[in-house]
Amino acid sequence: MGDVPPRRGVRVVRPALAVVLFLLPLLASAQPQRLTFQVQPGGVVAAVLPASILSDTDVRKQLSSGLTATFVVAARNRVTQDLSGARIEIRYDLWDEVWLVRKIEFDRKQEQQRIASFEALEKWWKTPLRLLATGAPRAPLQIDLTVLPFSAAEREDARQWISKSGGVGTAGGGTGLVDALIGTTIAAKPIMSYRWSVELSLK
Amino acid sequence: MRRAPSLLAVLITIAAATLLFWIFLHEVSSMWLDVALRPEVRQSLERSMEDQRTLRRLDPQRRAGYRQRFDENQKLLNRIEVIRMSREAMLRRFELSLLALFVVAATSASVMLWFRYRRAQERERREYLERMGSLQETARRHAHEIKGPLTAARLELERYADLVRGNASESELAHAAESVSEELERLARYTREFSSFAGVGKPALRRESLGEIVEQFCVTFTNAWPGVELRDGGLDAIVCVDRDMLRQVLVNLCSNAAGAGAKTVALTIVKNSGRVTLDVRDNGTGIPEHLRPRIFDPYVTTRKIGEGMGLGLSIARKVMLDHGGDLQLVESSSAGTTFRVTFGGEEC
Repeated sequence: MGDVPPRRGVRVVRPALAVVLFLLPLLASAQPQRLTFQVQPGGVVAAVLPASILSDTDVRKQLSSGLTATFVVAARNRVTQDLSGARIEIRYDLWDEVWLVRKIEFDRKQEQQRIASFEALEKWWKTPLRLLATGAPRAPLQIDLTVLPFSAAEREDARQWISKSGGVGTAGGGTGLVDALIGTTIAAKPIMSYRWSVELSLK
Repeated sequence: MRRAPSLLAVLITIAAATLLFWIFLHEVSSMWLDVALRPEVRQSLERSMEDQRTLRRLDPQRRAGYRQRFDENQKLLNRIEVIRMSREAMLRRFELSLLALFVVAATSASVMLWFRYRRAQERERREYLERMGSLQETARRHAHEIKGPLTAARLELERYADLVRGNASESELAHAAESVSEELERLARYTREFSSFAGVGKPALRRESLGEIVEQFCVTFTNAWPGVELRDGGLDAIVCVDRDMLRQVLVNLCSNAAGAGAKTVALTIVKNSGRVTLDVRDNGTGIPEHLRPRIFDPYVTTRKIGEGMGLGLSIARKVMLDHGGDLQLVESSSAGTTFRVTFGGEEC
């Protein structure tokens, strides 16, 4: 294993060079810390997500809402267009006052934990997240991180709930009209998203 | 003539209606959604959850029950929060969908109204042309009816003058004078026909046996139209009727049947739900289809110019309407024609 320094990291979309230069001081303050990569045995690339993401005001607020904040990391090879990724789900259990975390990596390997404090959560956050495996000596990657405010299960639960409200007395919940008009519009709008472009050398 | 609404006016109307609908929709849809998302609801749920957590410490034995209620509140809170975060998208979709439906409905209605307007306009135009055609035909008939006797009378008078100048015999002069008189009588008959149309009096209604009237009519008029057999249906009913006027109606119907080449005219009394009718059916050649809707209008006739003014059926219908009944064309085809005479009732 060895640390591979990223070449660059910018938030959201890479703008034109002139605009970047003009806005550089502003962007610098908004940028998360850089991604840190590790190459593990078997050509597995793992990334440590910046701690600044977890401490972002909007993210912190969402983390304590009781809903499952979902961090979706998509890694795309810019040359082969191969797509891989991982997901982290964090929910604060208001009853036991613990953080319930679940990590699903590129090979569907799952890890679940109960974490007692935010400090412990920040420590856990720093464990590498396995994103992809590659046999190539070089990996030009585009990494996208999207922070969603709630999980698919919570969205589906809310959809069924409002669908039932719109279709009182119908078997199986709502009417087709309510489902079509409202149910399909319940979508997790990202709280924030980041994009990094990196060129990894795995030699 | 009605003016056609311009396309711009229609579009502006649809746009204005859509805008009003959208304002209404926006207010209403926002309102019902905001009711569920009111901060008080959320705060109340949060307080309740806090209470459950407090209770678990004070009453540990019922911890499971408090947990269950806590989870229920948490679930509800989560749902509200998910919907709150999707509020704008939901409203937008809801409003856009209903707005699209409204625009489609409004446009469809406008198109339908426009077509209806065009059809009405076309019908108005056609009816106007038909009226004008009818008036022209009437004018031609009037001209013919007046011009014929007048021309003949003028020629006879000229001949009379020649006879006077030529010292003709008295018998020749008398013959010429008689010819002039005959032509003037034709004019007088013509004006009488109009007088009868203008002066159709009110019927003197009496309770009469319709069967007896029909029977008498068939006997009296048995030889009136050569080659036409009158058939009495044989039933009877009491009706309120002016006997002479009804006879005038039946004469007109039978005369028309004879003119259409009928061999038989059947007069049948029918009682239906307390209503008495007299069906007059002939086996003539029928009324041309294009004339059927206007057959009771004055001056509508299948006869040639000089053979009648087409007032008979209109007078006959007026007579029956004055009776509180009616005269209707039931059917007509190449196999014959059926008219139905209805009566007002038994009480006069």
